[in-house]
Amino acid sequence: MRSREPPASLTPVLRKELRELATGSSLWVLLLLLSPLVGYSFIQAVALYAEASRPALSIPELAQQLSPFDGILVPTLGGFYLAITLLFPFIAIRLIASEKASGGLKLLVQLPYRLTDFVAAKFAAVIAAWLIALIPLISALVCWGLLGGHLDARETATLMFGHLLYALLIGAISFLAATLTEGGATAAILALSVTIGSWVLDFAALDRGGVTNLVAAVSLTSLLKPFEQGLLSIPTVLGMLIATVGFLALAAIWLPPGVLFTRRVKGSALIVMGAAILIAVAGQARTVLDVTPDRRNSFPPADEQLLGQLPERLLVTVRMAPSDPRLTDLDRKVLARLKRAMPRVTVRVAAEGKAGLFGSAGDEDYGQIVLTYHGKSATTRSTGAGEILPILYELAGVGSPAPSPTGRDEPGYPLVADASGAAIWFYGALPLMFVGMWWLASASRRIARRRSR
Amino acid sequence: MTVADFSSTVDALVAVHRICKAFGDQQVLTDVSFEVASGEVLGLIGPNGAGKTTLLECIAGLLSADTGEVRWRGSLLPPARRREQLFYVPEAIAPYPDQRTAEVLTFFRQAHRQPPSRLEYLVNALGLEPARAKPVAALSKGYRRRFLLALGLLAPRPLLLMDEPFDGFDLRQTREVMNLLREEAADGRTLVLSIHQLGDAQRICDRLVLLSGGIVRGVGTLAQLTAAARLPMCSDLEEVFLALA
Repeated sequence: MRSREPPASLTPVLRKELRELATGSSLWVLLLLLSPLVGYSFIQAVALYAEASRPALSIPELAQQLSPFDGILVPTLGGFYLAITLLFPFIAIRLIASEKASGGLKLLVQLPYRLTDFVAAKFAAVIAAWLIALIPLISALVCWGLLGGHLDARETATLMFGHLLYALLIGAISFLAATLTEGGATAAILALSVTIGSWVLDFAALDRGGVTNLVAAVSLTSLLKPFEQGLLSIPTVLGMLIATVGFLALAAIWLPPGVLFTRRVKGSALIVMGAAILIAVAGQARTVLDVTPDRRNSFPPADEQLLGQLPERLLVTVRMAPSDPRLTDLDRKVLARLKRAMPRVTVRVAAEGKAGLFGSAGDEDYGQIVLTYHGKSATTRSTGAGEILPILYELAGVGSPAPSPTGRDEPGYPLVADASGAAIWFYGALPLMFVGMWWLASASRRIARRRSR
Repeated sequence: MTVADFSSTVDALVAVHRICKAFGDQQVLTDVSFEVASGEVLGLIGPNGAGKTTLLECIAGLLSADTGEVRWRGSLLPPARRREQLFYVPEAIAPYPDQRTAEVLTFFRQAHRQPPSRLEYLVNALGLEPARAKPVAALSKGYRRRFLLALGLLAPRPLLLMDEPFDGFDLRQTREVMNLLREEAADGRTLVLSIHQLGDAQRICDRLVLLSGGIVRGVGTLAQLTAAARLPMCSDLEEVFLALA
């Protein structure tokens, strides 16, 4: 009798995982909730966009400010993000927890597969679930197109890619939670404590600087921000991919029964250290691509070229509270761009406490931005690039570059449209379609079960 | 108490050596040792709580033993490599409850790269045909047991460990399954069966390991165990077990 089996093909185990996905209820519940959630976000976004577009139809300067990416796509994906954050963990957890609860895992780990094969097949099912969950979102984009709306392909693809990476990370965290705990309910609590904990971190960091701010920078929510600005940040992409693979590797270590605890801990420590090193290395990759058609996240090319040639470290000291909206504006329009354009930039947020509309009482320095370059300093209160860049050039002893176009001139895309008719699709037809698919996937099995009793 | 051990007479395919396992303060297995010969049907018998399932899971590598080892043809077989040689069929599990029986059987057949004819043979031999279209969760206890046996027999491994393989069967069904297992053993497959029904164990097993309180009380054929217990040769396994345990 043969004593060693050749490794099995991945196709059967992949089919089994897809069947598990279809026969369980978590995917269908997600779809049933996602459809009205995305629909509501989309209909509201179109209504607000129409409001903003009305005056812009007659004033071209206003029209230039209207971007469907910011006005329609990002808000619509907000509903999608909410559902993925709160409901997607259940789909991923079920793929492991049900196998542990039913005893199937004891059989599965004896099959001629590597552990990584099982985890890969289960993760492929998670990706399939995410692709199915795109149906409401894609139908929203189709509706927008039918209403005459515009979407830029590169911006849209970048944002969708960011959401895919986010969902993969959530799925991997959920896998690990399911392998670490005995029951699906405990795993869900663990996974949601990470996802919802990110919201708490973000909220806590709003009004505090220092460590809270640093921790909030790596919260799951903050990872989506560059994509929502039309930026493809290579360090963020690499970091998310490494973290996802790391969580999956940890899940593969904790999944099989019968492995000594000390061995699991040693393996986990190696994975955590390896992932931390790789993420640190990935963080050194400074490439951030501005995929917006008008390069609205970047300085003009001539400025970027000149800034890239400034060799010294630029120190920017900002005397504002972290919750001050001027700091947010400064960061997006100047500081983040400087960090991408210059080789060495350090930003310090120096002010503590809250700020009123005109700064905090009794602190005359509040609101100041101090630029230090090559041993020389200059102070301004302006948060605009038009004022800050000339100061920097003066400190560096270089002349301002000749004005150049900021990129392709975007005409703006005002659109007065009414998407309320789409409610029938998002609140009625689409959920009914999902119910029908759910019935086809699992109800016939329930009938067979009832008959056998 | 006398421990009857006739292991040294066996040309061992697999040797279980001094396995100990405790859950917290509770010692479940203490220095469990025995050997199994190729093509043999070995019965692991003992009352509920004797440690049979824990022992099988330790041998299968699904539970880490505190001490002890398993040797395959004399060579150490570490837990991570046990699935190369053996397959363990647990008791009372319902894997993939929402999937149809036929789908799960086909998955296991394909995973083990077995021909469809092998699955057809097992489905017929175990009388699983009426259950094929049903979800696993809908199977009765008897059909679920047959289904699990089929999953185990699909694995082309030299050694099968089965936990309570006759549980849920009536007398006729038990005999049918015993015949099937006997055929497998005749084809060279080695079986270790955990059985709490002593009558079933006496009928099918070549040799027996008597386990009580996590300690091996005797290993050997019924005749050898009867002699060790100093009982008349016409004694049945129940009397022998009570005498040795």
